[in-house]
Amino acid sequence: MTTAVEVESLVKEFGGLRAVDHVSLRVPAGERRVLIGPNGAGKTTLFHCVTGTLAPTAGRVALFGRDVTRLPEYRRTALGMGRTFQISNVIADLTCAENVMLAAVGTSPRKWVLHRPMGTFGDVRRTAEANLDLVGLAARAEDPVRRLSYGERRQLELALALTARPRVLFLDEPCAGLSPSERARISRLIAGLSRDLTLLMIEHDMDVALGLADRVTVLHRGRVILEGAPGEVQRNPEVREVYFGHV
Amino acid sequence: MTRGRLAAGAALAAAALLLPSVAGPFWMGLVTQMLVFGLLALSVDLLLGHAGLFSICHGSFFAVAAYTVAILQVRYGVSTLPAAAAGLAAGTLLGLVFGLAVRTRGVYFILITIAFGYVVWGVAHRWSSFTGGDNGVTNVPFPALGGLRVESHTEYYYLTLAVVALVALGYRVVIRSPFGLALRGIRGSETRMRTLGFDSNRHLYAAFVLSAALASLAGVMYVYYNRFVNPVAASFPVSVEAALMAIVGGSGTIIGPFLGSVIILGLRNWVSSFFELYAAVMGIVFIVAVLWVPEGLVGLAARARRRSQA
Amino acid sequence: MTTSAILQAINGTSLAALLFLVASGFTVTFGLMRVVNMAYGAYYLLGGYVGLSIMRATGSFALAVVGGGAAVVVAGYLIDRFLIHYTGENHLAQVLLTVGIAFVIGDLALKIWGGDSLKVPVPMALRGAMELPGGLVYPAFRFVLIFFGAAVAGALWLLYTRTQIGAVVRAGVDDREQVAATGIDVDRLFVMVSAVASFLAGMAGVVGGAFLTLYPGAEWEILIVALVVVIVGGLGSLGGAMIGALVVGLLDAYGRWLLPEFSYFVLFGPMAVLLLFRPQGIAGREA
Repeated sequence: MTTAVEVESLVKEFGGLRAVDHVSLRVPAGERRVLIGPNGAGKTTLFHCVTGTLAPTAGRVALFGRDVTRLPEYRRTALGMGRTFQISNVIADLTCAENVMLAAVGTSPRKWVLHRPMGTFGDVRRTAEANLDLVGLAARAEDPVRRLSYGERRQLELALALTARPRVLFLDEPCAGLSPSERARISRLIAGLSRDLTLLMIEHDMDVALGLADRVTVLHRGRVILEGAPGEVQRNPEVREVYFGHV
Repeated sequence: MTRGRLAAGAALAAAALLLPSVAGPFWMGLVTQMLVFGLLALSVDLLLGHAGLFSICHGSFFAVAAYTVAILQVRYGVSTLPAAAAGLAAGTLLGLVFGLAVRTRGVYFILITIAFGYVVWGVAHRWSSFTGGDNGVTNVPFPALGGLRVESHTEYYYLTLAVVALVALGYRVVIRSPFGLALRGIRGSETRMRTLGFDSNRHLYAAFVLSAALASLAGVMYVYYNRFVNPVAASFPVSVEAALMAIVGGSGTIIGPFLGSVIILGLRNWVSSFFELYAAVMGIVFIVAVLWVPEGLVGLAARARRRSQA
Repeated sequence: MTTSAILQAINGTSLAALLFLVASGFTVTFGLMRVVNMAYGAYYLLGGYVGLSIMRATGSFALAVVGGGAAVVVAGYLIDRFLIHYTGENHLAQVLLTVGIAFVIGDLALKIWGGDSLKVPVPMALRGAMELPGGLVYPAFRFVLIFFGAAVAGALWLLYTRTQIGAVVRAGVDDREQVAATGIDVDRLFVMVSAVASFLAGMAGVVGGAFLTLYPGAEWEILIVALVVVIVGGLGSLGGAMIGALVVGLLDAYGRWLLPEFSYFVLFGPMAVLLLFRPQGIAGREA
């Protein structure tokens, strides 16, 4: 059984503040792991360190057995990492199609081509259209992202993460800020993803989290306080206290 | 390409080709100058309008190329083709060095390019034994390729026009290519692009070097037009004006920098004929452009068109 | 040989004093207000010329220095309030706008004071030379300049690190929203800091005009060297401006002495090194 993501004793400090405090994780390939915890627990910071957006203060990160601790994000993407951001991070000045086409060439030498217009790469175009269709944005392909609603941008965010055919997907609160119907749609999309894809997801909404997860890791104040099956975590008193105050 | 655009393009091309038959040498010279500086503005806009980097040192590449051509032709009797090639190479080489600046962003990047540009100006100004100091290098001959020799301003105008047309076509391909799209992506969200697999620093460096090469080409065209070069070509005002031309004409487009060049150079020519404080007037143009017309002429036209369609 | 080296050290330090005066205003203005003001060189020139006129009219150097500074405070305030204010945090717009303003000031100065190189007369009390150990004779004014620069630097540093206002400014440089949230009148703070910065630049012009002379183009030369100081020292850092000024001043003096034709390369060197290893400058925050 290959380990998709291995985090060993990760620490991240900002000045005097320790946002991530010796967190260790092991996610086997194909598993769907959900990270939960109250605000400020260090979930997003942990993600940033694992995906390469931030450099950890101490500790080790490995993707598919390969030590990536000091590797910049774009190299991790080349190894099969895909990720979405908590706050939609899409390229507003470009169209949806252009966004996804960039995602399609991001890990290929094609990104260096300057003697042919992007439009002449038919396969890139088709990949873009397919991925937009998958997330339900086919009709908005030619629209500038600026004109998209928040919910649609979340959909695009997911399309971008999926386009380069990642082996492990990091989703940071994919349903944040969405209406119930939009949430349901995104949840369905995620649930429908292939089991070959390892999923590591931060989710605030307990229902969504517990519905999608194989295993749950609970973070509180930068530390892992519990890890287990969804039902187990839901029933645990310490978790309930952390989330809902004194029961 | 819409029919309206095609018609406008054809009209422009016709006007450009017929210009010499209606205009005297003064206007020919002015239009040639507008084309050359438009090329410089275009090089700045590759970075500004697409990669989102505001560089104020492109006068350095422009001047280094011009000086290289001038010194080779005048002092060493080198013929046009190798001299021009050397000029291009010299400016581009400087671009490879100054490209270090892309390790910074935002204000730092702007300040560093300003400082770099200043260093080149300083060297041109002080290394008088080589560059001729403030007097510069004079008596640059017209270009000659084998048996063909440019004999007049009119012929040089056509040569410049041809070069500009070819560059514009090439530029169009580049900005629509995956590379060009990647630059705009990086400008939009560098973190997103890096997560998609792009090494943003490398892309920006490549764009910087490419724009330096384009600025060098402008420098080569400049020195053959002007027949002389001095440290002013590397000065801060030249670099900053090139950026202004791109903005006033319409950053992010191909015609914008050239339109900007026409406006700025035309305005300067007109004002200086009756008002000695024309630098102050140019300063006011900067102020007005920034506060009231930030999207440039092309942007204004687009806005007007949208309003008429609404 | 060593006496020349010492001479250059003094030259460099006196230039550093001047550079610090111009650079400190620029760096704190950026650090606190996120404003890039490329007209600081023109402020220097304006202050210098106004000081010169005052000197010619009254013969008082002190009055010239204060007057030059005051003139720039007024001009600076008007420019901030009616022009720069509208650029928000758009640095590109600020650069272009303030460059335009500098062009206007420069051209007006040319019209009023002419194109010749003008020197602000050094007051009688500060003229003459000092004799140093080793038989070295050096203009007394330069020493005065160094002490003056050190005094201003010291005063600024004290203000910045030991007073409440300084603490507020430092907090503001780190996090503007935080400062605004504490209820402090941020606008008034900005005006005050701007005024101090403008005063320093104008004052620098009068003092600089006494040993470097004033001429069209001087505004760009002083600005750009001050920018190198700010880059080397880190944007927003007062301490960095001090260190940067010393580094650049000394490099410039030794550069001009040892490699006169390539002295500008000497300025390029440290910047290139810094870019390779520490892009955010000596004391600045992450770029």
